[in-house]
Amino acid sequence: MHHTKRFGLINIAGMLLRVLLAVIATAPAMWAQTALTASTTSAAQNGAPAQTFREVVDETGRTVRIPQPVTRIVSLAPSLTETIYALGLQDRLVGDTDYCDYPPEAQKKQKVGGAINPSLEEIAHLRPDVVLVTRHLNTLDTVHSLDALGIPSYATDPQNVDEIVASAKRLGDVLGASEAGAALAEELQHRLDVLRQKIGARPPRRVLFVVWTDPLISVGKDTFIADALRRAGAVSIIDSKQDWPQVNLEEVAHLQPEVLVFADSHGETTAQHLDVLATRPAWRILNAVRDRNFAVISEAVNRPAPRIVTAIEELAAKLHPEAFVEKPAADKMSGNMVLDVKSQCAH
Amino acid sequence: MSTVAPSAVGAMRSPGEASRANNDVRLSVEQVSYAYSPNPTQAPLFTLEATSFQARAGEIVAILGPNASGKSTLLKLIAGTLEPLSGKVLLSGFPTHLLTARTRAQRIAMVQQESQLLFPARAWEFVLQGRHPHGRALRFESATDLAVARNALAQVGAAQLSDRWMAELSGGEKQRVILARALAQQPLLLLLDEPTLHLDIAAQVDLLHGLRHLAVENRYTVVVVTHELNLAGEYADHVVLIQRGKCLRVGPPGVVYQRELLEQVFQTPLSVELGPSGRPRVNVVADRESR
Amino acid sequence: MRPLTIQRLFLQCAALAGILFVVVIIALKAGAVEVSLFALGRDLIRVIVHHGSEIKSDYGLIVMNIRLPRILLGIFVGASLAVAGTGFQALLRNPLADPYVLGVSNGAALGAILALLVSPHLALLPAVADLLTPLGAFLGATATIAAVYFLGRREGQIDSTTLLLGGVITGSFLAAIIMFLMTSETGSNLRGMAYWLMGNLSTSLQPSVYWILWLGFLLGAGAIYTTASDLNLLLSGEKEAMHLGVDLPRVRLVVYIAASLLTGLAVSVSGSIGYVGLLVPHVMRQIFGSDHRILLPTAAFGGAIAVVIADTIGRTVVPPAELPVGAMTALAGAPLFIYLLRRRMA
Repeated sequence: MHHTKRFGLINIAGMLLRVLLAVIATAPAMWAQTALTASTTSAAQNGAPAQTFREVVDETGRTVRIPQPVTRIVSLAPSLTETIYALGLQDRLVGDTDYCDYPPEAQKKQKVGGAINPSLEEIAHLRPDVVLVTRHLNTLDTVHSLDALGIPSYATDPQNVDEIVASAKRLGDVLGASEAGAALAEELQHRLDVLRQKIGARPPRRVLFVVWTDPLISVGKDTFIADALRRAGAVSIIDSKQDWPQVNLEEVAHLQPEVLVFADSHGETTAQHLDVLATRPAWRILNAVRDRNFAVISEAVNRPAPRIVTAIEELAAKLHPEAFVEKPAADKMSGNMVLDVKSQCAH
Repeated sequence: MSTVAPSAVGAMRSPGEASRANNDVRLSVEQVSYAYSPNPTQAPLFTLEATSFQARAGEIVAILGPNASGKSTLLKLIAGTLEPLSGKVLLSGFPTHLLTARTRAQRIAMVQQESQLLFPARAWEFVLQGRHPHGRALRFESATDLAVARNALAQVGAAQLSDRWMAELSGGEKQRVILARALAQQPLLLLLDEPTLHLDIAAQVDLLHGLRHLAVENRYTVVVVTHELNLAGEYADHVVLIQRGKCLRVGPPGVVYQRELLEQVFQTPLSVELGPSGRPRVNVVADRESR
Repeated sequence: MRPLTIQRLFLQCAALAGILFVVVIIALKAGAVEVSLFALGRDLIRVIVHHGSEIKSDYGLIVMNIRLPRILLGIFVGASLAVAGTGFQALLRNPLADPYVLGVSNGAALGAILALLVSPHLALLPAVADLLTPLGAFLGATATIAAVYFLGRREGQIDSTTLLLGGVITGSFLAAIIMFLMTSETGSNLRGMAYWLMGNLSTSLQPSVYWILWLGFLLGAGAIYTTASDLNLLLSGEKEAMHLGVDLPRVRLVVYIAASLLTGLAVSVSGSIGYVGLLVPHVMRQIFGSDHRILLPTAAFGGAIAVVIADTIGRTVVPPAELPVGAMTALAGAPLFIYLLRRRMA
């Protein structure tokens, strides 16, 4: 019949269209599948066991092929090691750097050298599925050498606190622990939200974050440390584009920060040093030195890792104590000794 | 610029230089010997056997010999910068190697091949350096110093070079300025080590002639190390002939310049004749067959 | 013939002192904080006359306690390095010599690093702990001076060539140790040391240290000045100098120790500020001649002027950050060196 024919045509056209759409929608997966099958075939042709790969784009824009599943990980930065533990993937961590010291169990892992100059032999010996690097610490040289060895490396590059959280979540995803990643990110974000609520509309306290005293070095406004300060209800008085600006003491004396912030997990050294600073006529011009308004927080603030949130909470509690009245005195989550010089000095 | 009369130079000398006036023996080299070995246990690499001679004020002594015969060593022994193994060198009766650096520079002036000047200097600055031994540590040059320096330049005929940079001077001009510096020291003894090496014949004659003139006028004793037979023969009062560390003959040129002796020392056929000035003249024999 | 006279020396030094005074005034005025020097001067006089001990104004404190000490330190360091450089150039008979060529600065740097590593483990009074780094640096410098002295001897006396060789080798060796130590520290430790090594006047010191520095300068520079005439003769050659009455072993020893001590003191408090010890003597030689009796004092003034200017520029050009004075002297020094080379007087 006439209309049956037309109907048939439309049917066929519709079917074709649907098939076309389906193909387009699943094309990436198909391509990946093709790649997979391609490599599977080649691997099978070589007689090796079938290996699946996954292509991801890391935080520096590089496309990386990571074998699946990820069972052996080498971390080349203390922040990445901490993140792995926070994700619960420590059993898959087969090697880390000499400076990976948190949590303490990380020190027992196989060491591959420093972050800047790791031993490529050691890394290769460990046969990792992926090596984790971060742009703020590791070098391009290392990445290229790993490429030459055929070892995939995944780079993170968080520039602020939000990106640290997002980076941890993405890392969980890449390593095949998406749930853990999502849970971690949610927890961190929750804590940051709680913090923002507690601080509320209080004016931020003007601080100087002291990296080094001779000469005086602080942090630039675009660093993640500066962002961490902002999350803690503080603002760095140093407005510099350099990451680690050497700061003029005069400038600081003119700006008169309310609090000097030091990062030192073992507070004794800083306490000694602060006593020394108080004896110098030049430093005594600073009200913060005379009145001993120091805040010593965990060194975690220096690492773009989940633990930075703990350091932020620590600092916020010191800078805005009245917002935290119901908070328990010792913060057990950080696991560090929190030294507050001001509270230890007899008034 | 006023030129100071030569006799006035003597009046400006430091007091106590009375020995300059009389005619006693000024320099006395007595059985001086030396040995050099790099290692105490090894046999010495080089020796200078006992050598003796004497000279008075106003006299020129030429130490003559082929290369590496020990001439420079003898000169250093005379200057007192080397200590003799045996024997002694007395300058006005005092052993030269016992002099302090400062006193030595006041009495002995050494003229050597100049080493490279590190930074530019003018000729008058250079000559003024000769006054250093006569001053205190931190002093500035006095009018006397300036006069002595000016006069020294005049005496060597280099007064017009006073304001020139040392680096711009020719070989002969530089030699004169170096000599002027030595004169500015107002020494008793003037030592020169191969001063004619880089000079052309005119400059060589100029130098030796000037030295004889200066020796007489300023009553210096001059000791010149050279291998120039005829210059030594013409101008020296005494010749010390040395070969391989051994002093073969000491005496006036007429006595020392014997053909057999010279041929033995210089290892080449020579002939000696009397020159127009009454002094011996040595000629090289070109054709070895003709005798 | 225009020999040096005391009058000319005095006049030329007075002229340079005048320039230094103007530079200091400008440096006092320049900085993060606005300063009315007139008001400051008035306050100072009031303090002196009424024997008060306080300058009440905010800027007054900043100027007196931060800016002025820094300028004084710059004067000391600049003068010491320039005098030491002049001494070494004469001693080693080498126009390329600078105060660091014999390894003293590396020894001081190593001493400072070791002091930094050690000090957390010692229980010290705060004032003493603050002195530990400059003290460690100075001890490191002294040890290096002694080591290079023994290496640089031949037949019991300092020999210029042997000294230069010994010093360069020691310096390289110490630099290797420093590099090793630096690469085994991470994070902020490394960063701070790197800034210090670059040459820095922003260390704030205990007042007592300033007296020690000035005493050391007077002793060291004074000792070298007593050999000024001898150094003039040394320029004609070592043998010639000896024959002109220079007590060469004594002069070498005095200049070596005094110049090294000046360098050690300067580096102990400010790290290695480069080019000052190398170039200021050359510039002063162009202007005033090679006579060390005038060269040494004018080099001292010249070095002080150069360092204060460099430091003032460094701390005012990128506020609130500052550029280390060592970077400024290098930026200015390298082109100047090329210029001098081309004029063939260097």
